[in-house]
Amino acid sequence: MRQIAIYGKGGIGKSTVAANLAASFATSGLRTWYIGCDPKSDGSMTLLNGRKIPTFLEQMKDNEETGVFEGYAGVKCVETGGPLAGVGCAGRGIIVAVQELGRKHFREEDDMLIYDVPGDVVCGGFAAPVREKYANEVYIVTSGEYLALYAANNIARGMANLNVTLGGIICNSRDVPGEREIVAEFARRIGTRLIGFVPRDGIVRECENHGMTVIEGAPEHRQAEAYRRLAMDILENSQLAVPTPVGPEDIRAMLREMT
Amino acid sequence: MNDILHPRPNPIIAAMYTLRDLDADVVLMHGPAGCGFMAARRLEEAGVRVMTTGMRESDLIFGAEEKLIRILRSIDDRFRPRLIGVVGTCASMIIGENLDGAVKKAGVRATVLPVDIHGCSGPNTTGAIAALEAAAAHRLITYEERDRQKRLLERATLIERERGLTSKSYLEPHPGTTKLSAAQAIVRTLRRGGKVAVALNAKKETAYGFADVLRAVEHASSEVGGETYHIGNLDPNIGLPRIRRYASDILRDLKEADVEVEITGGLDEYAVSGEKAAEALARCDADLRVIVGVPHTVPGLSANDILVTDQPRQLRNYLEKGFAMAVGELSTHADVMSARSVLRSELGETIRQVAGGGLA
Repeated sequence: MRQIAIYGKGGIGKSTVAANLAASFATSGLRTWYIGCDPKSDGSMTLLNGRKIPTFLEQMKDNEETGVFEGYAGVKCVETGGPLAGVGCAGRGIIVAVQELGRKHFREEDDMLIYDVPGDVVCGGFAAPVREKYANEVYIVTSGEYLALYAANNIARGMANLNVTLGGIICNSRDVPGEREIVAEFARRIGTRLIGFVPRDGIVRECENHGMTVIEGAPEHRQAEAYRRLAMDILENSQLAVPTPVGPEDIRAMLREMT
Repeated sequence: MNDILHPRPNPIIAAMYTLRDLDADVVLMHGPAGCGFMAARRLEEAGVRVMTTGMRESDLIFGAEEKLIRILRSIDDRFRPRLIGVVGTCASMIIGENLDGAVKKAGVRATVLPVDIHGCSGPNTTGAIAALEAAAAHRLITYEERDRQKRLLERATLIERERGLTSKSYLEPHPGTTKLSAAQAIVRTLRRGGKVAVALNAKKETAYGFADVLRAVEHASSEVGGETYHIGNLDPNIGLPRIRRYASDILRDLKEADVEVEITGGLDEYAVSGEKAAEALARCDADLRVIVGVPHTVPGLSANDILVTDQPRQLRNYLEKGFAMAVGELSTHADVMSARSVLRSELGETIRQVAGGGLA
């Protein structure tokens, strides 16, 4: 069983990448899980025809049997859920949900678990998916823009502190000039590599408007092909390394050199 | 880093005790069901109802404001309290519960003091101060009274750091030296016509236990002779009504036992009245000095003094500092919680026995 966790700056496209990866893995016959860890619990909607599912923590709170929802191509979908903004503790929620999933739901025969983790690593709870027994293969989604790279570097620092191995950097393009080279160079500097480049294409939004991933909504489109290639590269990836984060000033210097 | 390894008094519990001093009818803890379990039992002896919102895992995740509101209303309906203190815990702090907001939303008949405090806020006195701040904000006490108590609490914290529980990196509990040796030293001094001075410098309700030593020494003197001198922070006109009541109770019982006391301050003033006790001790020029309550708040003690306290770690501290006689009245705090008159202490009883020839 492979357990991978997708991190990255808020709004960078983690959920879109994660859902399309899940759909790609599932259509190639792998038993795949998508575990959305954002309290907003909207990451799985494109795997479920736009449907919002009852969250895992709400079910636990009401002492219900925790259920899992089957989405496109049999992807098992979970939204951990969590508190409303401004109350409670979302981090604690992720810890409890991930532990309960591990105890009750994951099976030996599952092939691929994808954790879609919100934003930056903000407290211990947001690191729960990469603690012992869970994911040890982290992919950071970024664009070639400074703030996205800055956040990616921060996440790399968190992973280094936790001694967690990175599988690579995924570039979700924002059409920045020289973006592939910038992100590849950044990846090299923090001790990993660019594992995939996802172009920017309106088809993503179009499919999302229909509550679908590109894999489901436009399987012949070149964008679907890009996601499938990324999925294949991740499947074949065996280069895992604890990252070596750089200073924020190093990122700016790199960007100045390259643009 | 100078880490201190032994557990120390807790700000949350200090807040609960301060609410007791304010005559709160109910203390509601917003936290796990077991938080403050042992302290709650003692406070119940003092007539305070202690309750809990009994936070669970899902409350940590989703927040527990509604639960707090619901429980506050049900307490208000069921027990008709006049004053409720809502006390925060580590759990409510970490998840950022808004105690103030919940109390306002609950809108109950009782006066409710929200005390947002947690275990990591520093020395235990931070909890007492937080409760006083809440009380002043709700006009239950004046700002002058708040400031007076704050100064005393800050002074107490400083004393602990300089010569008390936080002055050492580790203090193992010690039961204290024997009551018999202390009692014999006292009776021996009296019997040969010497003067024994007893200085009570005690913290609030614990005086109900420690004051017995004054009574016993006076009794011993009436049996075997010698002179006595008594000192105590028993001013009945200082502090909150509850604290004044303690002092009046104790003075009444001491008077009945023919104990005359030089007053050094109020029962909440132990952090500063120790200095007055030291002056009085110096003035009376006794052959043997017995300091009961919180002895290390009295400056200028000598190695021959008999120190009596209720904290096993403090006893270890005294012995390590070279005091030969450090006597433990270890059950004092448990015993005094519901007291309205001076209780019999172990040392007091031993003094009476030795003076009466009951022990060879």
